[in-house]
Parts: sequence; C-alpha cells; structure tokens
Amino acid sequence: MTGNTPADTGGSAVADGAARPVLRVTSLVKRFGDVTAVDGVSFDLMPGASLGIVGESGSGKTTTARVLAGLERPTSGTVELDGRVVAGPEAGRPAARGGTRGRVPGGGARRDRLWRASRLQMIFQDPYGSLDPRQTVARSVAEPMRLHAPGPAAGRRARVRELLDQVGLSERAGGSLPRDLSGGQRQRAAIARALAVRPRVLLLDEAVAALDVSIQAQILTLLDGLRRDTGISYVFVSHDLAVVRHVTETAIVMRHGRVVERGGTERILREPRHPYTRLLLDSIPSPDWDLDRVARDRRALDRL
Amino acid sequence: MTVLANGRERAGEDAAAQRDALSVERLSLAVGHGDAAVPLLADVTVRVGRGETVGLVGESGSGKSLTARSALGLLPRGARATGRVEVAGVDVLAADRRTLRELRRTRASMVFQDPRAALNPVRRIGDYLTEGLRARGTPARDAAARALDLLDRVGIRDPAGALRRYPHEFSGGMLQRVVIAGALSTEPDLLLADEPTTALDVTTQAEVIGLLRRMQRAHGTGMLFVTHDLDLAAAICDRVYVMYAGRVMEESAGASLFTAPAHPYTRGLLEAGPSVRGEKAAIRPIRGRPRALAEAPGGCSFRDRCPLAGDDCAEAVPAYRTHGASVVACLRPERVAP
Ligand SMILES: Nc1ncnc2c1ncn2[C@@H]1O[C@H](COP(=O)(O)OP(=O)(O)OP(=O)(O)O)[C@@H](O)[C@H]1O
Ligand SMILES: Nc1ncnc2c1ncn2[C@@H]1O[C@H](COP(=O)(O)OP(=O)(O)OP(=O)(O)O)[C@@H](O)[C@H]1O
Ligand SMILES: [Mg+2]
Ligand SMILES: [Mg+2]
Repeated sequence: MTGNTPADTGGSAVADGAARPVLRVTSLVKRFGDVTAVDGVSFDLMPGASLGIVGESGSGKTTTARVLAGLERPTSGTVELDGRVVAGPEAGRPAARGGTRGRVPGGGARRDRLWRASRLQMIFQDPYGSLDPRQTVARSVAEPMRLHAPGPAAGRRARVRELLDQVGLSERAGGSLPRDLSGGQRQRAAIARALAVRPRVLLLDEAVAALDVSIQAQILTLLDGLRRDTGISYVFVSHDLAVVRHVTETAIVMRHGRVVERGGTERILREPRHPYTRLLLDSIPSPDWDLDRVARDRRALDRL
Repeated sequence: MTVLANGRERAGEDAAAQRDALSVERLSLAVGHGDAAVPLLADVTVRVGRGETVGLVGESGSGKSLTARSALGLLPRGARATGRVEVAGVDVLAADRRTLRELRRTRASMVFQDPRAALNPVRRIGDYLTEGLRARGTPARDAAARALDLLDRVGIRDPAGALRRYPHEFSGGMLQRVVIAGALSTEPDLLLADEPTTALDVTTQAEVIGLLRRMQRAHGTGMLFVTHDLDLAAAICDRVYVMYAGRVMEESAGASLFTAPAHPYTRGLLEAGPSVRGEKAAIRPIRGRPRALAEAPGGCSFRDRCPLAGDDCAEAVPAYRTHGASVVACLRPERVAP
C-alpha cells in the first residue's frame, strides 16, 4: 500500500522544493460519535494543481471537504492553507497561547473565517446551497465582495459583470432569481460567486453530478479554462472516475475514511494497486463489462 | 412503421404483438386544452421483446419517464394520449381501472430511482414482498417461503431477519435489491426500470445490474431500462432508443451506439462525456441546453443545437430512415461520423 505521507502525493511538482503547497492536509481525523468518517487523511495540493477524491458512498469524501472548508472541526490533524494552520489544535485558539507559527494574525473567529474564505471556496452538487433564493444571481455574486473588500459599488458592479461573463452567464441571467435559471446556469452562478474573492483553492463536491451530460461538458470546459487562466487549484470530489480523469492530475481513493490508494490519476486508472480501486474500475460499465469479475473483486476485497 | 421492423420480420402482426412484452406505437401525449395545450410526447414508438433488454436514454426532460410510465397506464393528470400502448397483449390506453390494476400486479412491474419512495416506511419488508403474491391467491405460508427465497437470491444476508425489518434499517443499495425482488416476485412479462441505479455508487450499481440481469434471464422478463448513462445503456442493452424533446431520435443496436452513432444528437452526447478508458480525449459540449417538446423548434427539435443543421431541417420532422444498424430521424446521418 502507498503511504499516507504528504510527500507521496504522486505529483511531480511535489518533489520540487521551491514550490510550496497551497493546501496541506496532515493526518486528518473526524469522528461523529462512534463513527470515524475520516481516518488519517493526508495530502498536498500545489498551486494550479487539481486533486481528485474518489471512493464509495460513505467513504468520507464530503466530510473531508467540509473540514477543509471550515464547516466541520477536525477531531485531530491539521489543515494548512497558504502556509497557515487554519484547522487543528493550533488553530482558532486564543492568541494568548502565542508563538504558534502561521496562525492567522490578529485573532478573532470571524476574521479567521474571512481569511480562510478569501483563499478557499466550496461548490456543492446543489447550487441552491450557495445562492440566496430571494436574491438575484448578480447580488449573490456581489455579496462576498461586500464582505471581503468593502469599496465603491460601481467597482463591484463592474467586477460582477466580469465574473458573470467569465462563467458564460448573460446579464439577463444575472438579473434573474436562481429558480428561474436552469441547473447548469445555477451552477455557473455558484462558481461566479465562489470566484468573486479570487480564492486560491476551489473545493468542488459532486459539482457536476446533477447536470445533464451536455451541460456537464460546458461546466467542465469552464473549469479547465479557469484553471489555465488563473492558476487556481481544485480539490475535486466525485464518484465519477471519467470526470475525475478529465479534471485532475492526481487523485486519492478513499474507503472507510482512509486513503487506500494515491498517485497520478492516469496511473491509478491504468494500473490500480489496491483491490478496492480495482473493484471500482471493473464496476464501470463498458462494452465488455464483466459482472462476474466485479463479484470476484468484491470477494477478494472482503477477504482483506 | 420502420422503427418497429428493426431486427425481426413482422409476418403475422397479431402474433408478433403477442410476443412483445411492450409495444408503444406512435404515442403522443399532451396536457391542457386549446391555446394552453402543452405537448409532452410526439410519435414515440418503442418495442421490448420477450426477455429483451431495451434502453431509453436522453437528457432530462426528454420524455423517458413519461414513456416508461405510459406502459402502466400512468399518464399525467388530465393528459390526452393518441397512439397505442400494449403490454403482454393488453391495450393499456383502452383498459379500465381493474384491468390496469391487474396488469400492474401481475404482468408489469416498475423499479424507480429512489427505493424509499416505493416502500411504505411503516410496513415491514416481509409484508411488502408477500402482498403481490397474496393478491394472486398464494397462501400465506407459501408466500412467506417465496419471499424468503427471493431475498436470499438478491443477496440479502439473514433473509429471515430482513423480512421483519423496516425500510429505514437498510442502506439504499440493499433496499433497491428488496424492491427488485418485489418487482420480480410475480415473474412479470415486463420490468420498467427507471434509473434504478442512479442513486447508487458505481460498485453497488454493478452488483444491482448483475442481479437484475440474472433474475430477468431466469424469468424471461423483458426490460425497459431508463437511464441518462450511455455507457451503462450500451453495456447492457440489446437495443437503445435515444430520446430528445419528447421524440425518439434514434434506435440503435446497443453495441453500435458508440461505434456508429447515426444521429448528431447521439454523437453529441458521446463527445460531451469524458471517458475513463482508452486515450484521454477532449470533450466537446453541445451548445445550448436540453429542451422539452413544448419549447423545441419546429421541424427537427434538435436543429437549434445541431452542428449539421441546414434550412431543410426546419421544414418538417425528419422521417425515420435506416442507416447502418440504426433507425434514425435525421436528414443526413451519413455525415455523422463517430
Ligand atoms: N453530521 C454527521 N453526523 C454523523 N455521521 C455523519 C455525519 N456526516 C457524515 N457522517 C457519516 O460519516 C461517514 C462519511 O460520510 P460522507 O458524507 O463524508 O461520505 P461521502 O464519501 O461523501 O459519501 P457520498 O459518496 O455518499 O456522498 C458516513 O458513514 C456518514 O454516515
Ligand atoms: N404531469 C406532468 N404534467 C406536465 N408536464 C409534465 C408532467 N410530467 C412530465 N412533464 C414534462 O414532460 C417532459 C418529459 O418529462 P419526463 O419526466 O418524461 O423526462 P425524463 O426524460 O424522464 O427526464 P429526467 O431524466 O429528468 O427524469 C418534461 O418537460 C416534464 O417537465
Ligand atoms: Mg458526499
Ligand atoms: Mg425521468
């Protein structure tokens, strides 16, 4: 099995000592009562890189993402964002503990949250989660800017136009309420809102899963272009290996809260090493789909 | 009509119809009246032979569920239907309520995406599995024994214990197995599976599909499999119908869906989806967004999104023509290279 050390993420850039990861997750654990949802997850994400998280339902993908986004506190382990510890035993403690290298200076929970949100934004499967149903899309997009960079309204309006244009939404769509837009348009709006603060990391949890394939392709193309043009990094959570192959260079495979395999996405797909990854791949429908092999894979895994 | 002729000679029209598990012929559906009338389906023709697996694919709103549900006589409230729907010899659109109830209980079953919606949360699994059998006059003890056997065959551990449990005590994948067991308990002629694995993760999907196939084969059940997943349809279906905006655009042999798409829409769907196998290829989005029949343009419904469309595509809905292993509603299938 491959180790869980951050240095083993498989991307070649990791070996390059000059570059510093924009996101470093170390030995992350999250328990809910008796359930250990995340059990020792570690990885590095380099600037401009894209990392996939795949795995079966209940394997802890969403919980990992929620901890990274600050929506859950980790039970143990640390999350370092842009060189600062934003979650873990050293984060969020009173400044009086002092001396903690990398803590967000100035203190204050709200300030910590803003600092994190200005660098990392999350996109969900259901864009309703990040859009206010009573506000026009343009207002929803402008809101994070009001919060993060108070300034003249005219400048904000120009930036909103630029953002809507960037994600391929018309001004008319900008003036609409979320319920009057199609699913694909709503997801574009959610992406525009997330980009408003120019984050360094975008966390996408099943962000294209609910979209029709023709619309999904439009959003994937949009994400490709954004990363190329802005150097933003993605953590891309998905159960769809074909989509993960398209969007990411490296990936981790999770099962029961643990990372069971990590490496280059292409390598994982061509030469899976862990029996669970093999089961995952053999489960994908294809013209020569062998359902007996899937059953054999499952038995091999159960013997483990 | 041509779509029906694919794959088999239709010598005795009546005899052939009897052999089919499902025959939908030129079904059109609309709701509302006069100026407010909204068309939902237009001239949909779909056939499922005995023991055959037939796919119904297309994006959301294309009319897949409406078509599948019409086989059970489940039409939208106030809908007007023209055309013909026949299941195992029963004329569904003309049938009275008793005949329809009987049909649903014994000859045709349906499995939906969300197994929890199909089950009463306060009734035990055992009651759910035996009710169809009891309704057919099977004695209680025999029905219970049969339910036990069914649960065992769909891979539920401790089937005796499972009979006493409630739906919330099962995971989604396990519950879908229970629903499949129930749907096949009466050995129906036709199984309508509407996205039965969409909510499951990929490994569970493979297991549930394996199970569906085994049970279907054992009973000779014809299956209409509704999905938006072209890979899945191509992997398990003998034939596939591709729907768009309330119409069938193409009927193809399952295997040739990928190698030789005949409609620009089918090709568009294939090129839009990333692939997990083979060389990594660029994806190509289809411009615009999927439409319902009511908002689609006249002539060919796909022409406003189609890269091959010309002025002639606006003149009339293209007639079906045979092209390779497909029957396709397009004026220029020869320009649709894979
Ligand atoms: N708030 C919570 N309270 C209790 N248990 C939770 C909570 N959130 C998640 N869990 C449990 O943690 C485990 C991991 O769940 P998580 O949602 O992270 O999985 P996932 O990999 O995202 O699955 P899916 O593919 O279905 O989205 C599951 O067993 C889940 O039931
Ligand atoms: N009861 C109804 N009354 C009016 N319109 C309806 C009704 N049911 C469905 N429709 C419309 O008919 C069209 C086809 O719906 P249908 O549910 O068959 O689509 P589908 O192909 O199954 O899509 P999905 O993949 O989203 O399930 C849609 O535009 C839908 O809004
Ligand atoms: Mg999740
Ligand atoms: Mg449907």
